[in-house]
Amino acid sequence: MNALLPPELLRRLEQFQLLAARRAKSSAKGERRSKARGQSVEFADYRNYVAGDDLRYLDWNLFGRLDRLFLKLYEEERELPVRIFLDASESMTFGEPRKFDFARQVAAAIGYVALCGFDRVTIVPFPEKAADSTARGALRQVRGRKSSLTYFQNLSALTAGGTANLNEALRRGALEARQAGVAMVLSDFLDPAGYEAGLTALVGRGFQVNAVQILAPEELSPATFGDLRLIDAESGAMQEVTFGKFRLHAYQQTVQNFCQRLKEFCSSRGVNFFSVSSATSLEELLLKQLRASEVWS
Amino acid sequence: MNFLSPEAFAFAAAIPVVIVFYLLKRKRVVKLISSTLLWQKFLAETQANAPFQRLRHNWLLILQLLLLALVVFALARPFLTGNSRNSRLRVLILDGSASMQSIDEKPSRFEKARTEALKWVDGMADNDQLAVFLVGAQTEVKQSATSDKQALRRVLKACEPADSPTRIAEALKLAQTLIRDQEKSANPEIHLFSDGALPNLGEFENQTLPLVYHRVGQRVFNLGITSLDVRANPDNAAQRAIFTSVVNPMTNEAKAELELRFDSQVLEVRSITIPPTNTFKDVFLAPQTRDGVFTIRLTTPDDLAADNQASIISLLPQPVKVLLVTRGNRFLEKALRGAPRVQLTTASLLADAAPGYDLVVLDDVTPLAWPAGNTLAIHVSQTNWFSEISRVESPAIVDWRNTHPLLRFVNFDNVQVAESLAVKSPGWGVSLVDSPQTPLIVAGEIDRRRVIWVGFDPLQSTWPLRISFPIFVANAVEWLNPSGANASQLTVKAGEPFRLRLTQPPGPTQITRPDGTVREIVLEKSSHEIIFGDTTKNGLYRLKTGTNEINFCVNLMDAAESDTRPRDGLPFGKYGNVTTATVKRANLELWRWIAAAGLLVLMFEWWWYHKRTA
Repeated sequence: MNALLPPELLRRLEQFQLLAARRAKSSAKGERRSKARGQSVEFADYRNYVAGDDLRYLDWNLFGRLDRLFLKLYEEERELPVRIFLDASESMTFGEPRKFDFARQVAAAIGYVALCGFDRVTIVPFPEKAADSTARGALRQVRGRKSSLTYFQNLSALTAGGTANLNEALRRGALEARQAGVAMVLSDFLDPAGYEAGLTALVGRGFQVNAVQILAPEELSPATFGDLRLIDAESGAMQEVTFGKFRLHAYQQTVQNFCQRLKEFCSSRGVNFFSVSSATSLEELLLKQLRASEVWS
Repeated sequence: MNFLSPEAFAFAAAIPVVIVFYLLKRKRVVKLISSTLLWQKFLAETQANAPFQRLRHNWLLILQLLLLALVVFALARPFLTGNSRNSRLRVLILDGSASMQSIDEKPSRFEKARTEALKWVDGMADNDQLAVFLVGAQTEVKQSATSDKQALRRVLKACEPADSPTRIAEALKLAQTLIRDQEKSANPEIHLFSDGALPNLGEFENQTLPLVYHRVGQRVFNLGITSLDVRANPDNAAQRAIFTSVVNPMTNEAKAELELRFDSQVLEVRSITIPPTNTFKDVFLAPQTRDGVFTIRLTTPDDLAADNQASIISLLPQPVKVLLVTRGNRFLEKALRGAPRVQLTTASLLADAAPGYDLVVLDDVTPLAWPAGNTLAIHVSQTNWFSEISRVESPAIVDWRNTHPLLRFVNFDNVQVAESLAVKSPGWGVSLVDSPQTPLIVAGEIDRRRVIWVGFDPLQSTWPLRISFPIFVANAVEWLNPSGANASQLTVKAGEPFRLRLTQPPGPTQITRPDGTVREIVLEKSSHEIIFGDTTKNGLYRLKTGTNEINFCVNLMDAAESDTRPRDGLPFGKYGNVTTATVKRANLELWRWIAAAGLLVLMFEWWWYHKRTA
């Protein structure tokens, strides 16, 4: 059906539902409970009848007992907007397997779970790129399980490249969203400008944020030694390093510290944080880690 | 600072190569990575430990350049020079005389001099030349001028001091001829390593000898035996009188024990006190019943051991068989009979070589056959000893050599001569008594036999009436007595050859030196004399030829050697003087230290590099 996710995994994902701690604020109908009153089967409250109300919602039994007109109110079930921030910068094209491929798979899985739950999925790939604008456009406001096929196809059509600004992308995404919902940030978070401002903006907008940091195995444990001139794929910045095996441990410590700081930042703002290597099996992340952290159930 | 191999600076061309290598090295392996963020953080962390990341590269480069510079510097072989002249030919004269065995320098003066000389060899530039002379009683050219340092070191290490006095003049002459032909630019120098215990070098006074004197020796602490003789005691014929003198070159009074031995038996020990810079003379009296060796020994230890002992062979007196060939001369006959231990035979004619006699006296007789032994010839004209013989009437005696043993206690004050044969002074002998026209008495050695020629007939003079005549005859008998001559031959000075006349052709001959080494001497069948030159050690030598065994003694007995005062200057005649070299130290080669520093830098650089990369 698609190259992103195996059918077996899709079948298992169908059983999940995204959990949202807050009530949905979306204006569109859906299957999520919301604060809005509207039409559903879930009773919410009574209120006095005022002229003009729909007579179909009058509680006739109550009228029979109390001789007064009350209107039965039901909870409006709304959809849950899910925004997936997908880092499609040049840095995501590294790794074996590619970090971007892994991120797309995660995005596909989350999107599929959301689509199955009648939630609205928006993929926000950053940075902006004119080349695959069609696919990008089609990945906005995707609804319904039957859209999943095109959703996967469009996701597959995305390409990565260019220089990303994580903070800017997240801030803009937070502003653009009409309603807050669940936000997934899929990135390596290796942005010289940092990630703090972007994540803070998302949290401040009311999103329930899940951050998945994807690092390539090569980044976790480099295998190239000697006198190196490292060139940053995004910024083009050069860095001369003399690297030996004995410094591997120091390097790994640096990476660990970087991840630890990110994790501490996230937990202090109520952001679910996951750090995975792109070589991790998808099932491990989707069926165990995300579930254990109650991203979905 | 100078350099022995300045051409090694060509290796400095490698320095730019290193820099180029460094530039190449800085072209690193280019690697595209997702982000340098992690690396920056990583580097930032290590930079906290080593603040000068950029400088650190330069440090490694500087270390390597330093290392290379040190290596090139070491290859150029720099040396600190104290030598103002850049000499291309040097003659090292090593004093190998007895005084150089003094132990005031540790381990000895000679070793010190050898060490100094080796330093000069080390300090030689590659195209410099060096010759090595070892001077004792003879000058040995140990090594002719060469640049081969190995050979020079080997030669210097093989040099050994002898117990002999120094005859430095020969060495200087030899060195002079060696450097004479050199060009001016070669700046030849003569380096003398000595303690200055040398005779005056007056003969070099007016020659500007490029001599550099390296003094060894620090102090004088020595007593030395300078003479030893043995005679019959004039007062008691059964006893022998042993005359000895001991010199004290020190400036303080010295006490010592003087010991007399006969063979290995101690006869007498005396305590002596010698005033400063004085000579002590003493006579020991000892009975003697057999031939043997008297040894005088200073038992008090001092710096120089070589002059603390002297030996002399003492043979019991033997009768002297004298053949007098004369037409009748009562004076002469009486005088001969009066000489001690003489067995006189008189004849009027000599027809053979007189084999059974120790000496022959020819009194105005021309023999039919010339005697083979020592001869006293009086008024004999038919000889081939002189180139031409004439006559002179009443020659006046104007001079006589009273230092000669023949003229001991002999005085010609009141002697008139009526007529004499007139000759020219021959090459084989010395004139003892002179008149203005001719030598009157000549004594010398011809064909290994002693000859005394008296030009006038004593009966034609007033001499037989004077007391000097019998004394002269007695002296002549003693001087011509071959056993007496042999006894004096049995004591030689160190370094001088030992000679022994043989009556029959020698068989296999061995000489055992005092240190026990045995020398075989191969002699030609026709030779009648043993000459042995290896008398560098003091002591008793045993010569064995055929069935005969003869001992002879070698002694230093040289006052100049016993005076071991280290001299700051060498006297060259009245006005000349060469003082101790002060700035002329051996060139100190530095390459070893520089190479060691280079090794340290190399190790440090290696450690540094591996600290940075695995």
